[in-house]
Amino acid sequence: MSIEVQRIVKTFGSFTALNGVNFRIAPGELVALLGPSGSGKTTLLRIIAGLEIPDSGTVLFDGLDVSSRKVKERQVGFVFQHYALFRHMTVFDNVAFGLNVRPRRVRPSQEAIKLKVFELLKLVRLEGMALRYPSQLSGGQRQRVALARALAIEPKMLLLDEPFGSLDAKVRKELRQWIRELHDKLHMTSVFVTHDQEEALEVADRIVVMNEGKIEQIGTPDEVYHHPASPFVSHFLGSVNLFHCRLEGGKILFGNAPADSGKTEGKQEARNATVYIRPHLLDIEYSAPANGNYFRAKVKSINAAGPLVRVELTTEWDALVQVEISHERYQYLGLKKDAAVFAIPKEVKVFTEDYSI
Amino acid sequence: MNKSKTIEIQKARFSESPWIKRGLIGTALFFLGIFLFGPILVVFLNAFGKGIGPYWRALTEPAAISAIRLTLWVAAIVVPCNLIFGLAAAWAVTKFNFFGKKILLALIDLPFTVSPVIAGLIFVLLFGARGIFGPWLQAHNIRILFSVPGIVLATIFVTFPFVAREIIPLMQSQGNEEETAAVILGANGWQTFFRVTLPNIKWGLLYGVILCNARAMGEFGAVSVVSGHIRGLTNTIPLHVEILYNEYNFTAAFAVSSLLMFLAFVTLVVKHWIERRSRKEYCGL
Repeated sequence: MSIEVQRIVKTFGSFTALNGVNFRIAPGELVALLGPSGSGKTTLLRIIAGLEIPDSGTVLFDGLDVSSRKVKERQVGFVFQHYALFRHMTVFDNVAFGLNVRPRRVRPSQEAIKLKVFELLKLVRLEGMALRYPSQLSGGQRQRVALARALAIEPKMLLLDEPFGSLDAKVRKELRQWIRELHDKLHMTSVFVTHDQEEALEVADRIVVMNEGKIEQIGTPDEVYHHPASPFVSHFLGSVNLFHCRLEGGKILFGNAPADSGKTEGKQEARNATVYIRPHLLDIEYSAPANGNYFRAKVKSINAAGPLVRVELTTEWDALVQVEISHERYQYLGLKKDAAVFAIPKEVKVFTEDYSI
Repeated sequence: MNKSKTIEIQKARFSESPWIKRGLIGTALFFLGIFLFGPILVVFLNAFGKGIGPYWRALTEPAAISAIRLTLWVAAIVVPCNLIFGLAAAWAVTKFNFFGKKILLALIDLPFTVSPVIAGLIFVLLFGARGIFGPWLQAHNIRILFSVPGIVLATIFVTFPFVAREIIPLMQSQGNEEETAAVILGANGWQTFFRVTLPNIKWGLLYGVILCNARAMGEFGAVSVVSGHIRGLTNTIPLHVEILYNEYNFTAAFAVSSLLMFLAFVTLVVKHWIERRSRKEYCGL
């Protein structure tokens, strides 16, 4: 089932949570709504589910306007951030709830419900836990019960609100991969909300990056990471070094040293620009490269713990720059604190002022 | 010397001297003895002072039976009324946002802060012969004051915070995520209430009902103002006790009092049991 939202506006008092949001999710897609807190992502999810009513705008399922449909008529599976399991019911009763509350004429027989519940518990790998209470489960297990409960009503789509938000790092990673696998098995249109860019990049087919009630960019993880459409996206997805500089005749002036901006795309006249360079897209050399694409810096600190070596540089104009290089490169250079080096941008992203927001 | 002094100061800060401990425990026990155990003892000594025969006669004379019956009736009407009111108020306050919510919350507490005598007087001013609705009621031959409806109204007023006060904090702490989940899963309002909300608050609710019942049966001030003290007709147990006492019929007065004492014991036991049950259930979480 496809989901489409058109011109959604939602305000809470004087706070504008959503300010004209449009996008379409294709059937079977797994989409992440990514943004910082207060960006309106959860509100959007709740509007799709029917838990919030937008001030204006429409929600379409398969091209049909469902704006006036009540929550229970929308047939969505919803997984809450804190699971919202029924605490006085066993795992079995939790999962069976959606079937048990159906009107008698459409309610499956007790036998059929039992079969269905155990089928779902098998899917979420909790067969042995049917008679436990939510309080007797770990966070990850509760999350899976919540998922099984949402799937029991055979929803047309699955909406997950910060599904990994309250889990510890390790469980979170496992569950993430598992959700991806599950989605590939079920092929149900799914939307999940997250503030964790890593999570979105790893799990989603497409990412909707949101900020202050607006969509900043929609694209595949690859697109939003490598071709951010705005300074915000660039900043939000992974760490990034920010430079305020002048753009002159296709050259970037870092401080007063010119460097090749790479792609200038016709922005020829001189103007102020903001340049973003990801730490792993900076290299370090002891000699200046011939093409003039560099800026001078001094090594301030080195942190070699982890898969990459993180080097902090102080530039000539006294700004701090993060660089990530491989351990091989680090050993090859024999980098020391206070060494004078040349930083070489391998790829930069330029946002001129009229372009950025 | 300086060093030993610091150690002493530290000691004094972290452990009380045994005399303070003994003093505190002693004071607590002394007060309990004087104000609780003493009176209980007096009630039972006086009630059974002349043997079981007079005790039994005091409880089975027509006026006493009528008082017991009326008290049970009042409780039987008042408790369900306040159960429904308490649930409705708690539901409204915790699950919705609306204008005047804070006022409603403050008003729920009003009966706790107002003297019961004033509570009774309110009804006299409303329904008495010279009250606002008095003439109309008289014209239609409806009796509220000095009869059962007045007693019921006054008792409802005095006891209505019990249930609401007990479950509002509980429902506030539980939030409404579970209810939202139930609605998304297709449950209607009644199903959500009976399958999700009620099971989550049942112990708190029962606790409130028990307290409400105890107070409804024992209420004196408000009921005294509106009942008219008509023996055999509008006397509840507490009013009956007062009349017997004023007639210097101490044995009978204490005998009937002992009924309320038993009610208190039963309430305490049930309350304790509920607390243990609910702790068992919620602590598992």
